[in-house]
Amino acid sequence: MKLSFLFFAVGLILVLLQTTLLHLLPLGPIVPDFVLVLCVYWGLYHPTVGAVLASFLLGYSVDVVSSPILGLNAFAMSMVFLAVHLSSRSIWLHDPMASAIVVLLASLVKGAALALLSAFFLSVESFWMSASFYIIMEALIAAALAPFVFALLRRGQSYVERFRVTA
Amino acid sequence: MLAFLRKNQIVLSSCSCLLLALYILNAHARGQLKNDPIGPILLWMLRPMQLGTHAVTGWFSDVQKGFGTLSGFKTENERLRIRIQQLEAERNKLLEAEATNRRLQQLLDFRAQLPPGSVTATIIANSASTWFQSCLLDKGSSDGVGKGMAAVTPLGVVGQVISTAARSAKVLLITDPNSGVDVLVQRTRARGIVSGSLEQKTMMKYVKRSEDIQVGDRLITTGLDGVYPKGLMVGTVTKVQKQNLGLFQYIELTPSVSPSQTEEVLVVKVETNQTKN
Repeated sequence: MKLSFLFFAVGLILVLLQTTLLHLLPLGPIVPDFVLVLCVYWGLYHPTVGAVLASFLLGYSVDVVSSPILGLNAFAMSMVFLAVHLSSRSIWLHDPMASAIVVLLASLVKGAALALLSAFFLSVESFWMSASFYIIMEALIAAALAPFVFALLRRGQSYVERFRVTA
Repeated sequence: MLAFLRKNQIVLSSCSCLLLALYILNAHARGQLKNDPIGPILLWMLRPMQLGTHAVTGWFSDVQKGFGTLSGFKTENERLRIRIQQLEAERNKLLEAEATNRRLQQLLDFRAQLPPGSVTATIIANSASTWFQSCLLDKGSSDGVGKGMAAVTPLGVVGQVISTAARSAKVLLITDPNSGVDVLVQRTRARGIVSGSLEQKTMMKYVKRSEDIQVGDRLITTGLDGVYPKGLMVGTVTKVQKQNLGLFQYIELTPSVSPSQTEEVLVVKVETNQTKN
């Protein structure tokens, strides 16, 4: 549970980065989705009830700071966590390429969930054409970032666990 | 039973979260979610960090600008370069202070023209999502900022406050696909609705084909939507297309205010006839 709290704090910092520093990157309106990568990591390597709640809360915090309607990202992140967790029973990842592919697929799941809910709850004209572009771009960027973020998180997790054992 | 619950606790808790998210979505979409218990806590946790990061971001962009300015001095020696960097940093600081002073003076002058009770706020964060165009202000309900108030600058309209916490407020920008501003063309008085799109284009919608709209026409607020004061600049028409079929023209515009380059806004409440009564 303590590790989940720690991860949640990391997640909040990532939300903070997404609202501030990452806007300095020359990617136009696209914001790299570190929160998604973190949720995928949780689904694969840290599947606990705490991680489920943390995924929901991180999605909710993205909603609170940027979405016109609450619950969109909370749903999408919970969805991503569940999808990754269920699929993680049949795959075992330690290869960076494979983790990138899982994040790419998870990002597509999140994009599809967001697009479906937005189309249902928000009436935006000519939505699907532009939505599909952003879904693909976001997925590619998240996939490219995944191996680095995974390596960092894995190192952080093993450091915390070693620290706990020695303490 | 307990064994089943324990075995499937992650799947069950995930499904509960999904259902909770759907419930929140539905309730918020219908306007039934009056009190959000978690949002203000999250905003309260994020606000100090956002303020700090905002300062760091400002420093980064100063450094970025400084490097851009210094790129022509490659051949000069190290001592001069360091000296120039120092002077440049000082100059940037002074220019920044002067620009801030000028902006705030403009805001003060502009404030005098607006309805009383407007609040000056600083943009401390942008949208965390690609899908929505919004920003966070450093003032909230305890400073007099309320849902439905307009965020404006002397250059024009920025957006509308869609939610508030005690010390921060979320503004939906006019470039967001979900926003809508009642506008008229200054030259011909033709009316329409300005809204954003996911392709990062801002458009004026629902203008009849028979209306005379030209590139370069200025769009101003009508003041009839009860959100934005009348006569504020919204943008300039950049493209007009009369399609073969359809009732309306296709009009693109450039917003007069670029949110990414805006630092301070005035949050104003328009007094409509209803609120006056």
